[in-house]
Amino acid sequence: MSSATLDVAVAAVEPGGTVVAAPGFWRRVWKNKAVVIGFGLLLLMVAIALLAPWIAPYDPYAQDLTNRNVPPFWYGVGNWAHPLGTDPLGRDYMSRLFYGARISLLIGVSVAIISGLIGTAMGMVAGYFGGKSDMAVSFLVTTRLSMPVILVALATVALVGGSLWIVIMVLGLLKWDRFAVVMRSATQQVRSLDYVAAAHAAGASTTRVLLGEVLPNVLPHLIVVATLEAASAILLEAALSFLGLGVQPPLPAWGLMISEAKSYMFFSFWLIAIPGAALALLIFAINLAGDGLRDLLAPEGRA
Amino acid sequence: MERRKWGYAKPGLIAGAALAGLLAIAAPALAGKKDDTIRFAYDQAPESVDPFFQNVRIGVIIGANVWDTLVYLDPKTNEYKGLLAKSWKQVDDKTLEFDLREGIKFHNGEDFDADSVVYTLNFVANPNNKVVTQANVNWIDKATKLGKYKVRITTKEIFPAALEYLAGPVVIHPAKYYAEVGPKGQNTKPVGSGPYRVSNYVPGKSITLEKNPNYFKHSPKGAAKINKVEIRFIPDRQTQMAEMLSGNGDLIMYVPKDQADQAAKVPSLQVVSGETMRIAFMQLNTLANTPTPALKDLRVRKAIAHAIDRESIVKNIVGAGSRVLHSQCFPSQFGCTDQGATRYAYDPALAKKLLAEAGFPNGFETEIFAYRERNQTEAIINNLQQVGIKAKLTFSQYAAMRDAIRAGKASLTHQTWGSFSVNDVSASIPVWFGGEADDVTKDKEVEELLKKGNNSVDPNVRKQAYQQALKRIADNAFSVPLWTLPVYYVASKDLNFEAYPDEMVRFWEMTWK
Amino acid sequence: MGGYILKRLGLALAVALAVSMIAFLLLRLSGDPAIAVAGEGARQADIELVRHTYGFDRPLPVQYVDWLGKTLRGDFGESIYFKQPAAPLILAKLEVTMLLGLSSILFALAISVPLGVLAAVYRNSWIDRLCLALAVLGQALPNFFFALLLIMLLSITLHWLPVSGSDTWQHFVMPTIALGYYAAPAFMRLIRAGMIEVLEADYIRTARAKGLPASTVIFKHALRNAAVPVVALAAVQLGFLLGGSVVIETIFALDGLGYLAYQSITFKDFPVMQNIVLLLSVIYVVLTLASDIANAWLDPRIRVS
Repeated sequence: MSSATLDVAVAAVEPGGTVVAAPGFWRRVWKNKAVVIGFGLLLLMVAIALLAPWIAPYDPYAQDLTNRNVPPFWYGVGNWAHPLGTDPLGRDYMSRLFYGARISLLIGVSVAIISGLIGTAMGMVAGYFGGKSDMAVSFLVTTRLSMPVILVALATVALVGGSLWIVIMVLGLLKWDRFAVVMRSATQQVRSLDYVAAAHAAGASTTRVLLGEVLPNVLPHLIVVATLEAASAILLEAALSFLGLGVQPPLPAWGLMISEAKSYMFFSFWLIAIPGAALALLIFAINLAGDGLRDLLAPEGRA
Repeated sequence: MERRKWGYAKPGLIAGAALAGLLAIAAPALAGKKDDTIRFAYDQAPESVDPFFQNVRIGVIIGANVWDTLVYLDPKTNEYKGLLAKSWKQVDDKTLEFDLREGIKFHNGEDFDADSVVYTLNFVANPNNKVVTQANVNWIDKATKLGKYKVRITTKEIFPAALEYLAGPVVIHPAKYYAEVGPKGQNTKPVGSGPYRVSNYVPGKSITLEKNPNYFKHSPKGAAKINKVEIRFIPDRQTQMAEMLSGNGDLIMYVPKDQADQAAKVPSLQVVSGETMRIAFMQLNTLANTPTPALKDLRVRKAIAHAIDRESIVKNIVGAGSRVLHSQCFPSQFGCTDQGATRYAYDPALAKKLLAEAGFPNGFETEIFAYRERNQTEAIINNLQQVGIKAKLTFSQYAAMRDAIRAGKASLTHQTWGSFSVNDVSASIPVWFGGEADDVTKDKEVEELLKKGNNSVDPNVRKQAYQQALKRIADNAFSVPLWTLPVYYVASKDLNFEAYPDEMVRFWEMTWK
Repeated sequence: MGGYILKRLGLALAVALAVSMIAFLLLRLSGDPAIAVAGEGARQADIELVRHTYGFDRPLPVQYVDWLGKTLRGDFGESIYFKQPAAPLILAKLEVTMLLGLSSILFALAISVPLGVLAAVYRNSWIDRLCLALAVLGQALPNFFFALLLIMLLSITLHWLPVSGSDTWQHFVMPTIALGYYAAPAFMRLIRAGMIEVLEADYIRTARAKGLPASTVIFKHALRNAAVPVVALAAVQLGFLLGGSVVIETIFALDGLGYLAYQSITFKDFPVMQNIVLLLSVIYVVLTLASDIANAWLDPRIRVS
């Protein structure tokens, strides 16, 4: 017994169809502009994040109360000591931006990994074994879907307080639903493939089959969902910061920077525009990469 | 409940996005000066409109506009004038007698007389009725009726600040109505006797005040001039500012200094600011079960006091009109002094030395709670960080923070207190050091000194007791006094209003330009 | 068909129960309800009295069953913070949130249907990429930032719309855009995928080969086919939106369920919080149940899978 609604949730992410790594894969990758641009941007941000301690001109936590709210250089009145200006506590914005990349990427990747592990395990079990396992997973997913993420996150953070790792754990433990749904569907398709049946018939244990045959084939779907969930997690962190229950200051997380800069939005627009643009670029890059990947992985002859 | 102007909602909603520019003559519901309505926005709705059952500023403001008290403290001359009472006399140390005015009616037509005073005071003084801020009412022993317009009020102990409280938080409810509906009823359908009455109340959303046409003529408060006040609860500060910028609002308060400075440049707005009686200070939890035992060491507390650069924070962040405090009280309050109290200059090197002596050469970790002025808290955290104290911030709503403190979960708290605008130190220090729920020090000596100050009628005895208490608190760094807070109001240029240090928004005084 | 409905109903009930249990547990753990009820400055003796009177000292499962029983009988308790009965309070705020949710879905569809159709018809071309980019655009910014940008543009600069409140339909325009734009990409992808699948089907090729005009093909056949899963997704998304409207309601001062939920978590208002979660999950479950049944009715294959 499957829920048509869950199937729909799958289709929203990708058009389905079996996936096998066809020859000429890398050539197609190169030709797919979306993947190239998307991953290119991502690589750039990762580079910035990793190199932050070397390329950031200041300590992102260093306050300078005499140099507050200095505008970036393009406002004409800014000074080149702080090319992107300073924030209300005098901290250099460029440095905070670079270090912020680390935190946003960390959140996205960690949440994607945690929720990916949980959801994939559930999805693969449900898709491979069907029957009671499928029912159980279906039940869990529906239960999870009917609890609004924000509210659960709010309640949990209100319970145990807000910090980077708590936010990551909470989001990771909540956002596995799409993984489960998509992996289930993908596994169902792969299960019926010849060589999987062959491996099973040859006496390979279920675990071996799952990890050795099924997983490599559903991996592409996994990656697509992972990119979308990472983007969504980064945005959720911003929403939690806005509500005061996310990462706590003085951490230079982009989501927190945006929510702090909100007070200055009408008068010192750059304070919110700079991390906002950075975040938007990151999300955009992730989406682009994910969508491009999906197209790459769609069977020949289809969109 | 209000009516909604819906018309064809759904098709309208779809078309709205595209056609908004064509169709929407987006006139706000009430247009300020044109409609003789002040549109005031505040972020937090009170738990209840009944002033005794809430303790947020907006509740106090509504209390003063919709209700009256026995006496009124004229903010300009600083003298007490009779409001609901015609005159009064101090019969003995613990007794006051009041002659009440005649001919005053409550908003629902009920007559004001001695019964109103007696019922209200006895009701709120009864701890079983759970008035939220007990300190406002627990000094009352009982009220007795001496005649139709004469009452006697007795206090439990000698309480020289009685008049202050009777001029401030202790408003008078209509006896029959209150007996019938109680605080719940007052919250649903508020009835007072003040210059404004409540004409509409949607809990959590808005409360509309309308001029009371029958307000008694000889009131020192004066009748209201502007017909309506629409108070809307808009949780987001930026949305409040957006309303002002788009011409849909007439008054907002507690605007952060930076925003206020910028808003002053907007032609349609004016900014009014000034120092308030609200003080900021840092509570240090030294109780037996404190989450940070390091705080029990005097050297650690002194180190914290020396670590904070108060002058710089006041100058750069807090704003014009504020000043550094050396005693945890507002200087104009009777009994407030920093004479003889240890002062802690900004000296991070000394702070580190003290920490090392106390056994924390590399500092320690702790938590700090705050509920407002977050930029100030962050500056403090930064200062502490520089001497090695890593304070994790928990920023929350006031009620949640208060509960956490009372449950013993707080170590450091960036606290503020407006003393309910009462100009007497007894409204301030005892809350934090009087051995009650919010006291995280519970020092017996201070408690004794405070009792002495609270319960003496001789001003010199009082002053001396308070001075000694404040000195002991400062010498032992039981808390760290920080600074006074200014308040910034942003208003439409059409509005004539004045800002007072008691943070009281007197709608009844306001006029249009 | 009847058997299918019964099975789905059973599942729906089980989910609603599970959600209420989790919410109950989470709330009880997040704070001492006795303190919340006893109120400010209550002495220990008072708190213990409250604990006993309200039964907070009983084992959790017993408390849960008791709460469940009361709820099923229509006793929804009283808001600790607002000191009013919880049910009317919640229902009053529900109206605004449901209105917001519905209009957001409609707005999302209004954007994503044309974009999805275009993307499918011109698949793999730059039009396809552009449509996707447009759909994703509104999702790339944190929603409160997007909402404030809308206010900056449409209220402060252009004076087209009021900033906040919920009195007229104009008040709902910006919140609808801010909230609805988030749902758009999912719909768009779905419609695009469904359309593509249909457009490539044999009978469509036949129709095109026979010379049927493109518009007929698109609208009469392809879109109708793609519409079925869209309805299901709409139900799912509505559930999400209801929960996710906290930020939007806070910014636009829409006194709805999302903001009430935020307040009640902050103020530890258990009765209200519990009932909101229950309500939201019931709505979600009912919606998915309805869409499952509708789908099953439309496509018999689903019933037997």
